Amino acid sequence: MSDPGAQRLEADNLCVNRGGKSVLEDLSFSVASREVYALLGGNGAGKSTTLLVFLGFLPVARGEARVSGKTASAHPNEVRRCAAYLPESVSLYPHLTARENLDYFLKLAGIAPQATAVESALDRVGLQSSVRDMRMGSFSKGMRQKVAIALALLRDTEILLLDEPTSGLDPRGIDEFHGLIRGLSDAGKTVLMVTHDVYGACQVADRIGLLRDRKLVAEFEAPSGGRIDTETVHRAFGGGSL
Amino acid sequence: MALWAGGVLAALLITTSLVTVARMDAERQARLDHQQGAEDAFTSQPDRHPHRMVHYGHYLFRLPSPLTAMEPGVDPVTGQAIFLEGHRQNTAAGSEANRSAFLGDLSWPSPALLYQFFVPLLLILLGYAAVVRERENRTLVALMSQGVGGGRIMSGKGLALGAAAALSLLPALVIGGRAVLMGEAWSAVASMLAVYMGYLVLWCVLVLCISSWARTRGAALTSLLALWLVVTLVIPGIAVHWAATTSPSPGKISTDFAMQAELRTMGDGHNASDPAFAAFRDRVLSQYDVDEIEELPVNWRGLVAEHSEAKLTELMNRYAEQRMTQEEAQARAVGLFGWLSPYLAIGNASRTLSGADLATHHRFLREAERVRFDFVQSLNRAHAEQMAYADDINRSRDAAAERRTRISADNWKVLETFEFEPAPAAERIERALPAVAMLALWLAAAAAASVIAARRLGLQ
Repeated sequence: MSDPGAQRLEADNLCVNRGGKSVLEDLSFSVASREVYALLGGNGAGKSTTLLVFLGFLPVARGEARVSGKTASAHPNEVRRCAAYLPESVSLYPHLTARENLDYFLKLAGIAPQATAVESALDRVGLQSSVRDMRMGSFSKGMRQKVAIALALLRDTEILLLDEPTSGLDPRGIDEFHGLIRGLSDAGKTVLMVTHDVYGACQVADRIGLLRDRKLVAEFEAPSGGRIDTETVHRAFGGGSL
Repeated sequence: MALWAGGVLAALLITTSLVTVARMDAERQARLDHQQGAEDAFTSQPDRHPHRMVHYGHYLFRLPSPLTAMEPGVDPVTGQAIFLEGHRQNTAAGSEANRSAFLGDLSWPSPALLYQFFVPLLLILLGYAAVVRERENRTLVALMSQGVGGGRIMSGKGLALGAAAALSLLPALVIGGRAVLMGEAWSAVASMLAVYMGYLVLWCVLVLCISSWARTRGAALTSLLALWLVVTLVIPGIAVHWAATTSPSPGKISTDFAMQAELRTMGDGHNASDPAFAAFRDRVLSQYDVDEIEELPVNWRGLVAEHSEAKLTELMNRYAEQRMTQEEAQARAVGLFGWLSPYLAIGNASRTLSGADLATHHRFLREAERVRFDFVQSLNRAHAEQMAYADDINRSRDAAAERRTRISADNWKVLETFEFEPAPAAERIERALPAVAMLALWLAAAAAASVIAARRLGLQ
């Protein structure tokens, strides 16, 4: 059981360069256990980069990214084992079916997949039964997204790192996904999602960090029992009044 | 495409193995038969003058070792038969290169050539995209996000490619088993298979390293093909030119010309009156305490033939050793390029282990020369001891004298049964160690590179 209040994800003065250019500057924030944190920002703000740093896929020029107390760059495999990652563009094997992909990736993660658990996860993400044995090469982006979310659910990790998780989902799918995230948070999971969807972030996040020009420029916290005000965030984001 | 290439290569491997086994079997039997035939022909000659038998001559054949079905080595180009006669050291004849429309190695592809040259190409086609495809399709991040380390991914890909390499070695395994049944030492066969497995594993590791470093499939394939070309064609070509330049060898014909010039100063063994033998005559007359050669209890002509052959052989051996030393220096110079090309290293190790290398050929030449010298001198001794000098010098004028110079055919049994054997397995393995060390170094360097590649895998 996760310790409420314990910091699961910590970015400490993170500076990251890519191709000789700075893509993150002095980024510091933390996400506590059971918390849903949305990192909001425009294109190129450094949102996806932040997730890759937490997964140890990008070297850090200065500072440190820690996952459950472990430095990501020093212990990438351990970090990846305790955090499920949902990329913006889901890439699973197109020549395998949804079930075969789940089976393969779960085995790689060291999990013996139970057929009932797989069906249950696919039910939760709303993937139609009729397509579960079809090759994923024929899937739409939204369907691929659902399979990837099912994979994250089946891995049952303490932490979820989600990159634009609702892109490709229809409005109903987005609502269901938000409900799913809240349920996972209630169940003790820690969620860090990056998005440029202000409305969606306000709907689901306990806290929102606003990234602009590679820096964290503002943080918003939901009032006790309520949601973060969409208009305030939208204004800060630079979108004017809703 | 890779599967088609694999199918074609598998068919080629099986066919080549069958053909080479059948061919070397036929060669072995033919050489055995020829050897027996040559011995029978020599010993069945009637009573005659022994010097006629010196020039009748005799053939020696080098039997191919059981492992030449895998690696014929220098066998197709050096020749396997030598005509032995008095006063001459003939070149080995009967090479494949002289007998057929020989167009180099590719006109007689052996299993060894396929394993050394073509199987690496197949491994490249099968494996060049193994890792880079995962990166291009973004499945690499998905794989590694499950907590799978770069080492496990590389190992998994390596196992798959290694399985293809191991599968390709099945014909070699069968040939090796057959060689053991034919009397080859299991240690030589096991070493041969281990060396080939190491060589193919090396290529698997190189393929995976480059596949993991390349940003695109095209870059991976281009880089690997360039590496294959450099290692199998460019460096060996440079090595041969380097060896020919730094260790020039005049060759048999030039050597023979130089030797002939020196020979002319030594006297003609057929002419016992040659002034070159004056000192020898004085020594012999003194030894037997007589004044004239006609008073000797032995045939002066036979003594001269024996004396002349010994001096001549000493000279011929000096030139032969000089030539072989130069050839060995060239082979060593080429062999050193094994540090730069594993293709050269595996070739050297393979030829040595199969008993079909240059050193083995040289040993055959030396053993053949020993046989030649012994049988010629035995006949010369008979020439000196079994006929009178007077009969010998008058045999062309006097039919009775001519009959008396015909000695018994029992003397033709001077030939010893000759069967050339490759060096013992332990000696071959020891001689192959430098080439094996080169391969081991390549393997260690490739393994180190793969560890670095595995650590960097997934970094963006």
